[in-house]
This record gives sequence, C-alpha cells and structure tokens, in this order.
Amino acid sequence: MDCEKCGAPAVMHAAYSGLHLCESHFCRSVEKRLRRRVRDDDLLSDAATPDDPETWVVGLSGGKDSVVLTHILHETFAEDPRVELVALTIHEGIQGYRDKSLDACLSLTDALDIRHEVVSYEEEFGLRMDDVAREDPEGMAPCAYCGVFRRDVLSRYAEALDADKLLTGHNLDDEAQTALMNVLSGDLRQMAKHFDASLGSFDRRGDEHADEFVPRAKPLRDVPEKEVALYAHLRELPTHMAECPHSSEAYRGEIQELLLNLESNHPGTRHSIMAGYEEFAAIVAERFRGDGDGPALGDCERCGATTTRDLCRKCELVEAVHEADADAGVGTGSD
Amino acid sequence: MHVTVHVVGEDAHEVDLPDPTYGDLIAAVDLNPHEATVLVDGRPVPEDAPVEHDEVRVLRLIKGG
Repeated sequence: MDCEKCGAPAVMHAAYSGLHLCESHFCRSVEKRLRRRVRDDDLLSDAATPDDPETWVVGLSGGKDSVVLTHILHETFAEDPRVELVALTIHEGIQGYRDKSLDACLSLTDALDIRHEVVSYEEEFGLRMDDVAREDPEGMAPCAYCGVFRRDVLSRYAEALDADKLLTGHNLDDEAQTALMNVLSGDLRQMAKHFDASLGSFDRRGDEHADEFVPRAKPLRDVPEKEVALYAHLRELPTHMAECPHSSEAYRGEIQELLLNLESNHPGTRHSIMAGYEEFAAIVAERFRGDGDGPALGDCERCGATTTRDLCRKCELVEAVHEADADAGVGTGSD
Repeated sequence: MHVTVHVVGEDAHEVDLPDPTYGDLIAAVDLNPHEATVLVDGRPVPEDAPVEHDEVRVLRLIKGG
C-alpha cells in the first residue's frame, strides 16, 4: 500500500477518509489539522501583537496527547512573537506513574526550551492521590476527586501565569466520548456549558463568565487518538505510556468501546458525532445564555475560587480527605 | 497463512488465518485496530494491507492518558 500523495510506502490507513499516507504526509496531515483548528477557533486574538503577546498555558501531563500538542504548538509558534507558550505539569502524587511521566515532560520542555511550571497536589492541598484513593471519604472513583483538584490547579495557575488561553490535549476520541455521554445524559445545560467553556470557536462563545475563568481550548480535537499516538511514535517524542493505576472511569470505558465498534463498522462516526454535537451545543448555548436560570456564581469562603456554593467542591473534598486521614491516624503529604 | 505476532512488551502469538490483513492480526491477538499498529521491520504498516511477512510486531499505541 502506497501513499496517495507521493507513492512512498504508507504507514497508515484512515478508513474515515479512505486515504493511505506515508510517514511524511501523515505527520504533515496531523500538524495541518491542529493548525486549521487553531485558525477556525480564532485561538489567536487579533489584539495579540509582538509588544502585547498572548500567553498560552498548555497542560502537559507527559502522555502522548499533551506531548504532541506541545510539540506542534512549539513548531508552529516558536518564531511568532505574538504567542508565548508555558507548559504546566501537575504531579498528583501517584507513585511510579507520575514520576515517570514527569521525566517525559521535562525532556520535552528541555529540548524545546520552553518555560515549564510543575505543581503538586501535595504542595497545593497537602494530599496525594495515592492517599485519596486509599481513604476515599466520599465513596467516589479516584478520577472524580482528581478531576476537581486538577481543574482547580489548572485554573489558578493559568490565572497566576497571566494566561489568555488554557490549552489541553483532548483528542477526537475524548471529545466524541464526552459528546455522546452528554447526549445520553440528556443534560442540555451541560452541553451549553461544554460549548462555552472549551468547545466553541472563540467568536461564537458567550462571555458571561469571561472574567471568572481562563478560556480553554482543545486544538487536537480533530485528530483520532490512534493518530496522535502514531505521530508521537514516528516523531520519537518522549511520552509516558501507561494507564493511571487509579483509573476507574467505567462509564467512559463503556462509551469508548461502543464508539470504537461503531467506528470500525461505520468509519467517520466520531467525526460526524462531533460535527452534529458542536452545532447542537452552539444552539443550546445561545438559547440558555442570559436566561438567568443558570447557577449564581460567588466566591468560595475558604479559597476565593469561583463557585456556586459557600465552600467550593475542591475545598470540600480536601477537607474530607484530611478528616479521613486524621481519623485513620495517617499523615498525608509526608512519608 | 501462519504468522508469528509479537505484541511489544507482552507475549508472542502464533496466528493462522486465510489471506489476513495486518488489521486481522491485531484483532487475532485481542486488540482493537484503533489502539494498536503492526510494525514490519520497525515501520508501521496500514491495517488494511495484506500480510506479506510471517513475523511481525504489534505495538500498542494507547494505554490510558
């Protein structure tokens, strides 16, 4: 099988487009899709200038998605004085797992020579995910705690780093799974929130909460997960490939399997789900904007984070974990 | 056709299939073609291509985020 662009030996076949591509044309195609998404989403504001550049904070975990995102953004914008890239890595306190992925992050940012901030749950909250998974004071999956802590750290540090945008490495599979889960839950407000928070192009998003949150974007969301991984392999990027030992998103796993089976039998399913969902979420977001029925936002009485409650969910969970530790007579955050 | 399939970092499998594609080999070792690729002489090959080698490696590309 040869590349349909140049006749060199193909390294992959994209069933959804029917194309066979060689290494060079495949890698260019991944890069092109990311750049087109950056353009289509109006990621770089017209107001950005060499004298007043935009700061883009990239959530860098060391996994293939965030490594590929950081690599291509660097290739694209390293010489553009209107953009400053900063990598932000979170150490959740998962022994073995995150230590190795942090090594991958450091070798990437050293090689690219980009600013890199590393923060840990231990320093931020006085806890480690290994302890949280063991204590589990709320009877939830570890990912449920970790997601709340991660969003808090990402948004606080994005603000502290004076970020204009917070970019994450979500790929097509991630986004199609989230879209399908939102559709199946029937929660229209969640779809509207998804659109305005991270999915919609910047010229179509509402700005109701523009002062409270650093806007997020997912420039890799047109590229299937396997292609992201194949790109990382072919470009020999330093990535850490292992499943988090606490991973337990059973429902998402079910949706992932369903989607991959559909994709095998009906190539292009993930793309068509996203095309329809994005348009639908845009209409729903417009419908709900300014209707006054959304939750009222205030400040957490403990940490000041934007929240709909007196105490934000993060402070609530941190307190629960510390109380469980005290009851068990175990000190978190130290060996 | 008889093919020895080495799953990188895991076990080797002996696979017998009539006129297989590389994608069939991935499925034969209980992986999904959306999460793995076949390497021939260290190079990825398209999963719809007919198998031309009696020994290949399968590289799992996706194992969590």
